[in-house]
Order: sequence, then C-alpha cells, then structure tokens
Amino acid sequence: MNTNNKTGQSTGIKIKNNWFAIVVSLLFLLFPLVIKNNYFIDVAFFFGIYTLLGLSLNIVLGEVGLFDLGHMGFAAIGAYTTAILNTSFGIPIFVLLPISAIAAAIFAYLVTSPIIHLRGDYLCIVTIGMGEIVRLTLINNPFGITGGPNGVFGIDFPSIGNLLIIDNSVKFYYFIWVAVGLTVLALIHLQDSRIGRAWNCIREDIIAAEASGIDVRYYKLLAFVLGAALAGVAGSIYASKLMIVSPESFSFMESCMLFCIVLIGGMGSIPGILIGAAAISLFPEIFQTFAQYRMLIFGAALVLMMMFRPGGVWPRQRGKIQTESILVKTGKSEI
Amino acid sequence: MKLVIEQLLNGLTIGSFYALIALGYSMVYGVMKLINFAHGDLFALGSYLGYTLLVMGTAYVTSTLGIWGGMIAAILVAAIGTGVMGLLVERIAYRPIYPTGRLPAVVSALGVSIFLQNAIMVVWGARPQAYTSDVIPSYMLNIGGLRITVLQILILLLSFLLMGVLYYIVQKTTFGAAIRASALDRETAALMGININLIIFFIFALGPALGGTAGVMVGIYYRRISFIMGWNYGLKAFTATILGGIGNIPGAMIGGLILGVLEMLGSTYISTPYKDVFVFLVLILVLIFRPRGILGEKVAEKV
Amino acid sequence: MKRIKNIFIVLVIVTLCLSVNALAQKDPVVIGLQGPLTGSAAVEGEMAKQCVETAALMINEKGGILDGRMIEIELVDDAAQPRAGALAAMKLVSMREVVASIATYGSSVTQPASDIYEKFNKVNIAYGATVTGLSERGLNYFFRTCGRTDTQGIFFAEEVVPYFGASRVAILHDNTSFALGLAEEARKALLDAGEAELVYFDAITPGESDYTVPLTRLRETNPEVFYFTGYFSEAGLIIRQAREIGIDAVFVGGDAAINEDFIRIAGLEYAAGCYMTQEALIQYFTNPEAMEFKEKYQATYGTLPSSPWSVYAGDALMVLAEAIDKTGSTDSDVLVDYLKNEMEEFPSITGPIGFDEKGDRVGTGINLYVVNDDGSYSIVER
Repeated sequence: MNTNNKTGQSTGIKIKNNWFAIVVSLLFLLFPLVIKNNYFIDVAFFFGIYTLLGLSLNIVLGEVGLFDLGHMGFAAIGAYTTAILNTSFGIPIFVLLPISAIAAAIFAYLVTSPIIHLRGDYLCIVTIGMGEIVRLTLINNPFGITGGPNGVFGIDFPSIGNLLIIDNSVKFYYFIWVAVGLTVLALIHLQDSRIGRAWNCIREDIIAAEASGIDVRYYKLLAFVLGAALAGVAGSIYASKLMIVSPESFSFMESCMLFCIVLIGGMGSIPGILIGAAAISLFPEIFQTFAQYRMLIFGAALVLMMMFRPGGVWPRQRGKIQTESILVKTGKSEI
Repeated sequence: MKLVIEQLLNGLTIGSFYALIALGYSMVYGVMKLINFAHGDLFALGSYLGYTLLVMGTAYVTSTLGIWGGMIAAILVAAIGTGVMGLLVERIAYRPIYPTGRLPAVVSALGVSIFLQNAIMVVWGARPQAYTSDVIPSYMLNIGGLRITVLQILILLLSFLLMGVLYYIVQKTTFGAAIRASALDRETAALMGININLIIFFIFALGPALGGTAGVMVGIYYRRISFIMGWNYGLKAFTATILGGIGNIPGAMIGGLILGVLEMLGSTYISTPYKDVFVFLVLILVLIFRPRGILGEKVAEKV
Repeated sequence: MKRIKNIFIVLVIVTLCLSVNALAQKDPVVIGLQGPLTGSAAVEGEMAKQCVETAALMINEKGGILDGRMIEIELVDDAAQPRAGALAAMKLVSMREVVASIATYGSSVTQPASDIYEKFNKVNIAYGATVTGLSERGLNYFFRTCGRTDTQGIFFAEEVVPYFGASRVAILHDNTSFALGLAEEARKALLDAGEAELVYFDAITPGESDYTVPLTRLRETNPEVFYFTGYFSEAGLIIRQAREIGIDAVFVGGDAAINEDFIRIAGLEYAAGCYMTQEALIQYFTNPEAMEFKEKYQATYGTLPSSPWSVYAGDALMVLAEAIDKTGSTDSDVLVDYLKNEMEEFPSITGPIGFDEKGDRVGTGINLYVVNDDGSYSIVER
C-alpha cells in the first residue's frame, strides 16, 4: 500500500514494515483455528470490540485532540438502538448496524453542536456529564423502553436469512475483526486525506488552523460524528454477542478505559490503539489469579506506563521532514 | 416554609462537603493544569484514617480525650495523613510526568485513583464501615419547629471557617498572590522569583488535607464510609469546580455550595433518580452560556 | 525493531502464564464459583467465596464425595458486570474439569452468564439473582437457591401490611436490579390486594450519603408503613435520617436491607424496632447444618456473613455435592434430572431445598422478623 504523498515523502503508517503487518494479520486470521478454547476466543472478541471503540475515540481524541471522557455514551446509544429495535420490531441485526451508527451520529451531532467551541478541560467535564446523563437515563427506564437496570435482553444473532448466521464464538470473532480491519483501512486513508490533515492541524495549533482557513467547527463536529458512529457500530455488535445490554457496561469508568487505550497506545496511532486495547482488555483476564490485587496492579501499571512511555507504546510515526515528530516521540502535545 | 429551610440546610451541608473537596481540585488545577483524579480517593482515605483512629482504637482515644477531643484528633490525623499522601502522590506519580504534557498526566492520575481506591479496599476490606454511635455526639436542637443537630451546625461552621481561612490566605496575603500568579502563568511566576516548589508543596499538602478533613466530617455526619465513596464525591466535586470556574478558589467554594443546593432542588422538584441528570444538564447549560464558570476569569486568547 | 521484539517477549510470557493457569487436575471434583470479587459489589463476592469455601470444608472434612474425592473450587471474578459475567461463564465452561458452576450475583450479570451455561449444557446455580424473569426463559440447566422477588412482594402486601393494619404505604428502592424488582412486585401485589394505598414510590441513588431530601418528601405523604427494598449499606443511613427528620412510620426492610452491618451503620437505637421480610438470616437458623456452618465460618473469618446471598452460595455447593454423590455422576443431564425430580427437602444450611421444573427453589419460607433491642432478631408470629 502506497501512502506516500505527492512529493514522495512517507506519511501515515510506515509501510516499510509491511511484512510485519502481514504477519500480524495472519496471526489474527489463524488464531481461532489454532486455539480451540472458546474462552480465549471470546476474550479475543472483546479485544476486538475494545479496539473498535479505541479507534472510534482515536478519531476524536487522537487525531483532533478533543478531550472526550464520555465516549461510551455513544456506544450505549448504538447498543440500545439495536437492542430495542431488534426485540420490539424484529429488525435484523445487519440492518441495524448502520441504523445504530446513524442514531449515535445524530445524537453526537445534537449534543456536541452547542459545546464544540469549549476549551479542552471544559469539554472534558461536559463529555463526562453527557456520558453520565445517557447512563442515568437508561437506568431510569424512560417510557419503559430501556428496561432500567436489567437492560434489554433477547437480542438476536446477526444473520442474513439462512446463508450467514453468526452464532458462535468463532464466527463472532471473525465478524468483529473483519469490522476492525475495514475500519483500519478506512482510517488510514482518512489520516492521509485533507480531513485527516485538517484534524491534526487543529490538534497541534488551533489558532493557526483557523488562520489557515480551516473551518474548525466543521472538522471538530465531523470528528465527533464519525467517532460516535463507529462507537455505535461497536455497541451494536457487542449487543448481539451478549444478547443483553445493560447500563453498567457503559459507565464512566469504561469511558476512562477507552481514554487510557488511546493514550497508552499513542495518540493518532492505529497500531498503538491495537496494543492499548490489548492491554486494557487482556490485562484483567490475565491477572485473574491475583483476584483483589488485580486492579491495584492495573492502577500502578497505568502510572508506570505514563512515566516511561508517555507518548504511548507505539507513537504515531511521521515523515522525517516534519519537526513535530520530535514532539510526538516525547509525547508532548499542547491542548 | 419550614420545609424549605430544612431542605436548604441539607443542601448546604452536602454542598459544603463538595466545596471542601472542590478546593483541592481547583488549587491543583489552577497551578498545575492537572485534573487530579486521585483527589476524591484521598478524601475517602481521610475518612478511613479518622475511622481507624476513632472506631478501631476507640477505647483509648475517646476515653482520654472525650468525644469532642476524639473528633478533633481524628480530623488532625486525617488531615496530616492525607496531606502527606498527597505530597507522596505528587512526587511519585505526577512530577516525572508534568514535562511530557497534560494528557499523560491525566492517565497517570486515573491510575493513581484506581490504585488508591483498591488499596483502601485491600487494607480495610470491601464492606462499608461505619463510625459508630459511641464516638459521635448527638444533641438535637429544636429551633422554632426545625430539627437540627448540633453536629450539623458545627460542621457547617467548621467548613465555612476553613473556607474563609483559605479565602483569606489566597486573596489577601502575599503568598496567596504568589499562588494566584502561578495559576495564571507558571513559568513567568517562576521567572519573577516565586518559589514554585513551595507553591506546589502547599497545594498538594493543603488540598488533600482539606479533602481529608471533609472525609472525617462526612464519616461523622453520615457515618457510613466505603471504599468507592471517593469516586462519587470526586466526580461531584470536580463538577463543582468547573461550575465555579476552574482554577478559581472562591469559585470552587461557591460551586460546591451551589451544587449541593442544586441537587437538593432537583431531588425535590424533579425526581430523586433524575437529580444527577438535572445537575449535569445545568452544568452543561452554564458552560454553554457562560463557559468560564460562575466566577472564572475571561482568559484572553492570543491571536 | 526492538519494540517488536519486546512485544513478542511479552506475548510469549503471557501465553505461558495462561497455559500454566489452565493445567487441569484430575482427582478432585471441581466446582466453579463466579462472583464479584472486585468492583462495587466486592463485599458480596468476598463473602460468597468464604461461604462456599466453608461449605466445601464441611464436606471435605467428612471425606469428600464419590468415594473420597475432595471438592475444589475454581473461582472467577466477574466484577458484577454483564460482559465480565459472560466471559467468566465462558471461562468456567471451557475448563473441562469444572463439573458445574455456582453463578452468580446480580440478575443482570446472571442473565448472560446463564445463557452461556445453557448453551454449553452446564448446570449453573445462581445465589444472588432474584429477578422473576430469570427462570421464566425455559432454560434447562439454570437453578437458583435464592428466592424470587414476586414471592416476597406478595408476602409484603398480603401479610405484612395487614399485620400492621396500615392503609398508607410508602415504597423506596435504589434502581438496582434486585431492589427495583422487589419494589415493583410489592407495588403490584398491593394493587391486587386492593386494601392499602401506595402513597409514595421512588428511588434513591446508592453510594451517596444524604437522603434527607427524598425522605422529607416521603414524610410529607404520611405513610404508616415504609418499605425499603434496597441494600443494608443505604438502609442503615436511611433509617437514621428518616427518624431524625421525624418519620414515625413502621420501617420494613427487604431481603437485603437488614443485617449486622445495617445495625452497625444505623446504630442500635435506630435499628431496634425495625422489621424485615426475610428469607435466609443465618443468625436465626438453628438446624444442625447451619450450626456447623456458622461455627466453621466464625472460626475462620471471625464474623458471620452479613448477606443472605452468600449463604445461598454455600447452599448451592452442598446441593451440587449431594447431587453428584447420590447419582455417582458428573454428567449435567443426570444432575439436572436428580435436582429437579429426586431432590426433596435436602437439608442444607438454610433449610430444606428442592427445585421445581423451572429451577426455582422450593422450600423457602419468607418471614417477618423484628430487630430486638439487643440487636438480635425474632420472628414475628402472624
């Protein structure tokens, strides 16, 4: 894949590591065929969900640098849209995937339009508030449609007639990772496009961006809407796997975990998100034996991570010409 | 009418707890531009320290010092303990990370918060604990049909006293001016000869100490403490900070009080489960129409 | 390049750890236990673990089952989260040596978990999931040793309210799965009974400290009976705050509201005179199994479990051990058949247990208890 720009310089992901990407893709492809244990496959499935969610937050936080700590709210909208429409009207899951994405996107547009101009930390608290509002409203079962604390259950498996029915761990695994793969391809192209560059420009220096004629408000909103749509898709797939959605899955702590995924992986870095998602989703399972001390270790690990690799495990690589690569390597980014 | 006053007092009481915790957030944020997520858990730690002193060592403490003496001792122990912990946290988890930027610091703060919360759970157990009746004075007053406990009055007085002292220090003394200067522009303040390390020491010791004091007071007033209380109170206090104008110390106090009263209003007139939704909505509206918060200063944008 | 190498090393180490974890052991009979060991419900998970281990100790000391095989517990944390619950269930299901599982606490966590157990034909017994709908899904392998909220709600409306001769009832819950379920069942039963009027129905937010505002509103509706269906942590605060602002109504707690911790948090002066609709209060049980259990538990942990659910987990273990021993088999279908058709009035810790066709427990009585002035409980004769 050629990601060189017009002057022949390398941008975006370094594809001279092409062979590495192929090896990793093969690993993912072969994984369930080698490891036959359903538990591990399920863990890998949720790893995929977190990756998708991490990628969706990456658009908002990683590319544009918007402080979003309520991102799970968008996933909740997607998940509940799927759950409610499927259990009440029997609409098939595959049809509901884009519908959930659109629902989340519309929601994002409506709630972020009035506040998109807010500065970093204020945006932070507002997004926290939004996430909480979504969760609290869901618990309170407005109009009797969200099922309150018990949530909505009885969600179908995704299926296209009798041809393709995704009903076991292995199939779900491939389903989510195909979705992740497609998303990654789309995002790589986005990174390279006008939109992606406008986003990065806004992140690095918003005033210069504005002065260069970039419609900051439009691009910020676009980021939120796209990020929300993607999160909605993730929520939708999650709902059909678990067959139940309930408000606890979309708490503030979960939004914080997404935040950590982007930061740990490296802002704007797609391979980094993968690693971050792995860390966040696999960590609790690996450390099951430590029981109560698990979260203790996790908290300490977060601190240590930031101490030694504040730019993330796999920071975004940029072309050598650009001086900002030095800033990226040390993880410095002014908001 | 009597009802309204009663509810107002309740709102102010819980508001003053939010205010005390919010002060810590505001001070740290103002100078360091860091959202100290661990602050809420330091508050919880304070209440557990007070609990350890009073309930677990009860015979000794209360018999030597009496109930009131015991409370004062608990507050002192909690304040000192959390102050020390706050300094430790700053030194270990934040100082190495400041130079690299704001976002890594946020993740680090989250990490510390998770660590502290679970550390409390491991040390004191997952069961909620209670300040037992024998360590708490319980005189009831009846003023014109209003039922108030002496405790409530004392707590309100103590909170306002602490806030007043802090307000005085920050607004009226030279040292306070130094703090405000550092909040405005840390680098320039350092260039002007202000001892930034001293400022940092002050905010990371005093902020958590105030939070720890609030912790003991919450323990005494409501009696039940649990290892997850830090998260809940922390979020509310952070909201109060923003409401009042982040980085602004009198703003944090007012924000806290207003938040307490808002919660009370929401719970009374809308519905108890939706009160948090109401509070967040108000916050969002305030931020849309008055983004700097109630008392925040307008920061000029250099163009 | 170095980074890639590092990542690979980490992956290798991780895989090794995981495989060590999964080494199967052949001799003991392994029963899975799923519960919240971390998170906001950590206290329940911890107690459930302690109860199950005590029950296992009781059985192992007597020589185990199936001719000398010891019982071993495989513990998995689900943090009271549905997703983690599904993963935990999947983990236990994937471990071939795990015969059956005791799972779990929290109705919204038990839902996806039981779906997974059902899919893989594994017996699972819930110990802290009382939402009625759970056993109405036509599942074959799902059981529970706890009761259902509808029984308790009906008991409240048809027995408790008339006992106090009350005509004005207030119900307060906390929007959690269990409390809401019980509150709704109570409300429905009150409506059906048609005698008393429901004057107040609202929810508080758990985890907070100040409930004076909703309580003041409750006071203004002048109820004669005040039913709180939430947990002991809030109940302790609520009774004290309620009394302090002048609510005189009779206070009745639901299943999860009143225990040692409640008395400690509320203070004896407020706790005395409170009532509760209660299934399994371990302190009250005097049957030989309960006495033995209490003695062993107290000896190891220094106190008694403060919630009914964890004791039900202990019951679940004893039930499973009995089924395996009596049928001589670890096959799920054989066990299901025994549990549903053969097991009758099996003496467990909380009294005689049997199961009906839906997997619900047969043989729990709900009683009205009152807290005495010295902190002990007595049954109120009806």
